[in-house]
Amino acid sequence: MKEPVLTSRRLCKRYGSFTAVDVLSFDVYPGEIFGLLGPNGAGKTSTIRILMDIFKADSGEVEIFGSPPGEGRERVGYLPEERGLYRDQRLLEVLVYLGRLKGAAKETAEKRALAWLERVGLEEWTGKRIRELSRGMQQKAQLAACLIHDPELLILDEPFQSLDPVNVEQIKELMRSLVADGKTIVLSAHQMNLVEELCDRILLINEGRSVLYGPLKQIKRDYAPNSVRVRAAGLPQDLPGVVRCERNGEAALLTLEGVDAQEVLAALVERGVQVESFERATVPLNDIFVALVQGDGTERN
Amino acid sequence: MGWTWLQSNSLEGELNRVLIIGWHEYKVNVRRLDFIIFTSLVPLLGLIGLLVTLFFGRQAGGALVRMFDSGPEVTAVVDQSGRVTPVLSQFAEAYAAYDDEAAARAALEAEEAQRVVVVPAGYPQAGDVKVITADSRFSGAATAGLRTFFITHLVQEIEDGALRARLIDPFDAQIEYIGERGRASGGVAGEVLSFLVPFVFSILLAVTVFVSSGYLVRSVAEEKSSRVIEIVLSSVTPQQLLAGKVLGLGALGLTQIAVWIASATGFGGGLAVLAGVILPFFTRMEVFGLALVYYILGFGVYAVLIGAIGAMGSNYQESQQITGIVIFIAAIPMMLTGVIMTNPDAMLVRAMSWFPLTAPTTMMLRLPLAEPPLLDIVISIAGLLAAIPLVVWFGAKMFRLGMLMYGKRPGVLEIVRLLRHA
Repeated sequence: MKEPVLTSRRLCKRYGSFTAVDVLSFDVYPGEIFGLLGPNGAGKTSTIRILMDIFKADSGEVEIFGSPPGEGRERVGYLPEERGLYRDQRLLEVLVYLGRLKGAAKETAEKRALAWLERVGLEEWTGKRIRELSRGMQQKAQLAACLIHDPELLILDEPFQSLDPVNVEQIKELMRSLVADGKTIVLSAHQMNLVEELCDRILLINEGRSVLYGPLKQIKRDYAPNSVRVRAAGLPQDLPGVVRCERNGEAALLTLEGVDAQEVLAALVERGVQVESFERATVPLNDIFVALVQGDGTERN
Repeated sequence: MGWTWLQSNSLEGELNRVLIIGWHEYKVNVRRLDFIIFTSLVPLLGLIGLLVTLFFGRQAGGALVRMFDSGPEVTAVVDQSGRVTPVLSQFAEAYAAYDDEAAARAALEAEEAQRVVVVPAGYPQAGDVKVITADSRFSGAATAGLRTFFITHLVQEIEDGALRARLIDPFDAQIEYIGERGRASGGVAGEVLSFLVPFVFSILLAVTVFVSSGYLVRSVAEEKSSRVIEIVLSSVTPQQLLAGKVLGLGALGLTQIAVWIASATGFGGGLAVLAGVILPFFTRMEVFGLALVYYILGFGVYAVLIGAIGAMGSNYQESQQITGIVIFIAAIPMMLTGVIMTNPDAMLVRAMSWFPLTAPTTMMLRLPLAEPPLLDIVISIAGLLAAIPLVVWFGAKMFRLGMLMYGKRPGVLEIVRLLRHA
């Protein structure tokens, strides 16, 4: 496996008697979209602020590109949850300023700002003041601001917040293209369907602690009920190990006990059943999230 | 510590970011309407004065004279000695001779004269005269005027015109100071201006410190309320952000002063410029230079503290309220301007010069009034230089905490507790 671009080891952050981040360890690998999930107040923002060197950790270690947080700021792009832009200033002027703070030369920052504004569909708004832009436009401008210095790692905290479906699609596409270009993304979001669509691996935290960490496919498989979805004509009633069958036309959800999906498929083939589709049933990430957050958060890798 | 960014490997890049922030702050604020209005106020007043002088000239001057002067005062003279009458032509407007005291008193009651002077027959020997006045306007200029009146009439018997003139006006002092390099010359006007201009300049500097600090509070509050702060803090450290703001807004304050001086020079014109504005600066360069040093050091201390404490507020108004304490402390010397003017080397004034929070304003006010002891200058500058790193360290810590604190303003105890974790 490649070397991680971001490593967190036993990270802790306390505010008085309140523990916001509690012995948190995780890795983020190059070229992946890593989901940092958790309910409100779980410690996501505190974790992200430590990664960005805005807060200092009480204990534990963080390395980004092999260095402590803050040493490679120009290699990281950050879209915070609490975000905004200078309302009375013009869009291009703001982006160039933020790009220059990230180390880009003025001409480069201006060139990239124009390119990103074109890419997110704001090329005609460059001379407008921020306050004249709609909320969705401001959101896209903020995303452009965190990309202007061509970072290798992006930390996006709730990037889909208050976006309409069209803009959500646009941002999703943008994220996919960035990953295709070799960028790494840490995504914090509440929309589980989007996380499922985009993320390769996730870390779910609750009350500052890790409760779920690993590849998304693996997690969904681990949490999936032992059941399969089958679409086939003349599905037999007496398949071994099938304890329940919920039919919906030619499709059926079979609940298994004591057998695995492979054995059921083999039995169907053996009996000469014409199988149109056969898949392991999964549980939505949202259900896993709710179940874990409402239940006792014990880490599963 | 607060200056860790200075120890970074890429010092140039880090300093560059401070300059970028400074320039951004300067550029944004110099275009603000309220800054333009406030800065234009002094030149505007100068322009109005110039226009009034140019277009209304004597009329305006006459109106002013009439406003403050109800007309020439007349003294009724009853000369029983025969030494001060007949009244000489140059005194004819202000002095009128009366035959007896009763007639003079009647003129006083009829408000034809403002006072009566009775010169008895034995005046040449005794020197006594009786003055009867309707109000208390017999002091200062009136006494001096009467003295001139008597001397001029008494010396008429002397034939030597030059001697007569010297007896009336014995000397015109041409002052030359030895051992005080750079003192102004040019008589009373030069002396007054040499004190007044640096004094006003010092007050302007002190005021500008507060005005620029106000811009800093607003800048911090706006970045907080617009939520842009977290994006900025992902690119620079709180120390860099604070340093950049202090730099940019300090330069903004200097711009304001430069505009005021330039406009005063522009509107003053010719000789007035040389005598009134430029001369005192050049003749008392040490005042100008030291005032500038205190401005820079003072702004460093006040702005960092005000910026850091201001970051605790959740909006501009709240930030203004909580920074009031720093501004109050710094303004104490200005409230005690009377004491400083009366005795610039009083113990209280000296103590205020040593305390870093009051030193800049106290010294800026002291410098034009007298030459403060070298010890006070050294202690005040050393104190400020020592205080700045401490203030930056404390300020940056508070700034880091305050910038990301939204919602309800924390209490003092909570701030102390949170600072331990910042």
